[in-house]
Amino acid sequence: MSKVNIRDSVRRTEDIRFVSGQGSYIDDMNADGQLMGVFVRSPHAHAAINGFDKTDALALDGVVDVITGVDWAELGFGVIPTNSAVKENADGTPIAVPERPCLAAKRVRFVGEPVAMVIAETVDAAREARELVEVDYAPLDAVTHPVKTLEPGAPLLHDGIDGNLCVYWELGDGDATETELAASDHLVTLELHNNRVTAAPIEPRGTLAIPDTETGVTTIYQATQNIHALRAAMAKILGLENDQLRHVAPDIGGGFGGKNSLYPEPVVTVYAARNLCRPVKWVNDRSESFLSDTHGRSQYTTVELGLDVDGTFRALRTTTVGELGAYCGTVGAFTSTGGSARTQGGVYAFKAMHYRARAGFTNTAPLDPYRGAGRPEGSFQIERIVEKAARELGFDPVELRRQNIMPKTSLPVKTAMGLDVDCGDFPTVFEKTLAMSDRAGFAARAARSVEVGKLRGFAIAPYLECTGGMPKEHAVVTFSEDGAAHLAVGSHSTGMGHETALCQILSAELGLDMNYIGFTQADTDATPLGGGHGGSRGMELGGNAVRQTAIEIVEVGKQIAAHQFECNVGEVDFEDGSFFQPGSNNTMSMGEAVAASFNSEALPDDLAPGCLNIGSTFERGIISIPNGCHAAEVEVDPDTGVIDVTDFWIVDDFGTIINPLLADGQVMGGVGQGLGQAILEQAVYDGDSGQLMTGTFLDYAMPRADDMPPMTLDYYEGSPTEKNPLGVKGAGEAGCCGAPPAIVNAVLDALKDHGVTHIEMPMTPEAVWRSIHET
Amino acid sequence: MYEFNFNRPASVADALAAVADADDGQFMAGGQTMIPVLKQRLAMPSDVVELAKIDDLKGIAVDGGTVTIGAMMTHSEVHNSSDVASAIPALADLAGMIGDPHVRNRGTIGGSVANNDPAADYPAAVVGLGATVVTDRREMAGDDFFVDLFETALAEGELITAVRFPVPDKAAYMKFPNPASRYAIVGVFVSQSGSDVRVAVTGAGPCVFRAVAMETALASDFSADAVAGIFVSGDDFNNDIHASAEYRVHLVTVMAKRAVAKAG
Repeated sequence: MSKVNIRDSVRRTEDIRFVSGQGSYIDDMNADGQLMGVFVRSPHAHAAINGFDKTDALALDGVVDVITGVDWAELGFGVIPTNSAVKENADGTPIAVPERPCLAAKRVRFVGEPVAMVIAETVDAAREARELVEVDYAPLDAVTHPVKTLEPGAPLLHDGIDGNLCVYWELGDGDATETELAASDHLVTLELHNNRVTAAPIEPRGTLAIPDTETGVTTIYQATQNIHALRAAMAKILGLENDQLRHVAPDIGGGFGGKNSLYPEPVVTVYAARNLCRPVKWVNDRSESFLSDTHGRSQYTTVELGLDVDGTFRALRTTTVGELGAYCGTVGAFTSTGGSARTQGGVYAFKAMHYRARAGFTNTAPLDPYRGAGRPEGSFQIERIVEKAARELGFDPVELRRQNIMPKTSLPVKTAMGLDVDCGDFPTVFEKTLAMSDRAGFAARAARSVEVGKLRGFAIAPYLECTGGMPKEHAVVTFSEDGAAHLAVGSHSTGMGHETALCQILSAELGLDMNYIGFTQADTDATPLGGGHGGSRGMELGGNAVRQTAIEIVEVGKQIAAHQFECNVGEVDFEDGSFFQPGSNNTMSMGEAVAASFNSEALPDDLAPGCLNIGSTFERGIISIPNGCHAAEVEVDPDTGVIDVTDFWIVDDFGTIINPLLADGQVMGGVGQGLGQAILEQAVYDGDSGQLMTGTFLDYAMPRADDMPPMTLDYYEGSPTEKNPLGVKGAGEAGCCGAPPAIVNAVLDALKDHGVTHIEMPMTPEAVWRSIHET
Repeated sequence: MYEFNFNRPASVADALAAVADADDGQFMAGGQTMIPVLKQRLAMPSDVVELAKIDDLKGIAVDGGTVTIGAMMTHSEVHNSSDVASAIPALADLAGMIGDPHVRNRGTIGGSVANNDPAADYPAAVVGLGATVVTDRREMAGDDFFVDLFETALAEGELITAVRFPVPDKAAYMKFPNPASRYAIVGVFVSQSGSDVRVAVTGAGPCVFRAVAMETALASDFSADAVAGIFVSGDDFNNDIHASAEYRVHLVTVMAKRAVAKAG
């Protein structure tokens, strides 16, 4: 590998580490003298705690400490924070935010909530002692359904929070929408459920905290997506300064939003390590992950679409009930409010839109962002109601979409939801997807399906996204005298391939050999700030930070070159890794400039050795607007209800594509999660006991390789955004915006002759079979 | 997991003795159920007696009209055995449908049969082919072996050494897997040997059972149509988040039809 360019399909340099067992995951890491921690978790969905007895646990050989909820309360530390961008209700009153202690002392509110930590010399001793910690619970009635919890008479979760309601919120023009809906020739209504899912990353959450008693600094290795923000939050809870905690997250085995949040366990682990002056490690097992990781989605929604007689859309009104779980997660109230509202209406033109949301507390694990965090919900809502309108009113679903998609000439536009859609070509993306999907051959394929007793269906689902996440990112490049570069960035890969893509950008900008670029991610010592991972921000923020740093390096390099060329800086150009003075024979490679940068004799007076070691903070403006289109063909077995997604076509507009291979991977992975949500996955709580019914992989159906359809991918690259210098739009979450509506609508197309108009996700075989046989 | 003594005897006699001598000894075959149970601290045996080193529990022998499979043969070994594939292709086929490659490389026929998970595949083959379960002390007809949910006719400390399958004229297994676990939500094994027809159903109820009405219908007309209108009683069927009893009843008929068609 040598110098590479933007848009090269550079293969993932980190993969050799991952596939040869050399990744650094928390469970692989151990520190000298380390203790092992485990958490005692509530077996009840809702109960008062009358007291703890840790005598027997403490008496067990090898047990070093037991910290109960009561102990924790006496320590007087802070509570787990929430940082929702939506902080006020529709009437301007503050949203309801209950206190969430790291260890529950008086009351538990979901199965799996931590109530005590046991720290022992070995994990076996800790687990054995865990069973000896006695907690005196008095069970209370529980409520696990997001709608039922808001009904009168539901068990109340938090003192002082009326009716379990966290937030009521709206966006858009309610009056105009009402007027437009009333004036519509057709009004189509659909009630739908966006199923609750869990991320189930392959690496469970865990923390290794190593205190240095001399410096007072505790180094925290943690499976997380967002080290800087979580360090600040942990420091605040524990009453520490940020620089007393160094937070590192080298290799992370998947996040998908589930590792965004600050959870209680790491805070208690860090406290225990500092208190005991020994390293303490805690790693969740899989069962604990199911119980205690944040879940995603979960909305019950009514969508209303008003159309003119010719099918032109007039107005859209979405009324939804979201869910917080037992407490506000880190993003908390935002997901089902602002997070879902922004992309309402998708790529279609509307005269008016109105979004209304309520979300309350339930006796379930807290919910927080899950890949897409509201936008997949919005995409599902609009594409389902459009499909229903087409079926109900007799329009061709493709034609109805084509007719209402915003034309290129209408951009830029600020949508009725306030989203700045700056560029794109939605009709072209739509037609390109349609063209790939071999509509001409469908009739023959459908006939062949019928011959074997199957039903074939097709659907197309354009989507509108918005990406960016945390608005600032930092990149720093440090050179060695031999010319090798080391790049550190505060954005965060949980497996997406940033190590490749970000080094690729640096290689392209500076003309450096990829083999001589080292990489550090997610270390608070390596970058002064970092926005981590979330909102598909890796290239948009991290990529632009790397580019900006590279440009600053070139500017300094020009000063070095000008000094050697004995010319003015303005006379030096840089191209393909070389500084040169046009019209002369003067050239200097980047490697030579790096060597010179360490030699004070080769530098102008105002530059010091090491002057090419540069860090730079990039700050984005408005979030970017990726968009695209998915199409699915499915074959349904009416005898069993089994769905086979036989083909899948995707065209995405991610602006500039840095690395098509990595972009493909992001899209395919997103489709996998979208397919999982559409037909397989659902986190189920028992309505009475509040127990999680899907607490193992025997019961929670993850998509497997053999569930995945063949996928044909393409990109529309005609509209790089001007919102950032690279022109990129985030690619990470798009897959699960487009896939659920494409698959669900394709299944409904297959079943249209059976009179089936709606099936909730996940479309399990039984659900499909029932819809056929009960209609 | 809790602490236990771990034994790896090399003979059946030593294995029996190890369990007999223990306070609460337990045989472990492939461990595909037992190890997760131990890891979740749901069992606390004093001794685990692993059978992997016992050569007498291995091997596949085809002799005249029977195929005898050692209890410690893995699902992969059965699936990939050319002897099994040529004598009873449906059995090789079934073994290849169990779990995933990791499970098939560790899990064994003896372990599966002894565990009698209501959603396991092998019980359907044992009953559906009228096989004989051979233990260290006796032989039992498959029909008598599976008693109830996770319950078999095995006595305390009794060890399965082999399963002996008669070779049918034709047979087939159709499975409707649970999308999460890949266990059978419903699995139907049909076989025909002369005038004898067997239809064994796993996954649907608490224990594998024979669908007698289907057997009768198939005895006079071995065709998918013959069972298309026959629905078994779902009174004691499993009814859970994965499938209702009603759906399972329906699936038994669909899988039976398809198994008959597949058997040819």
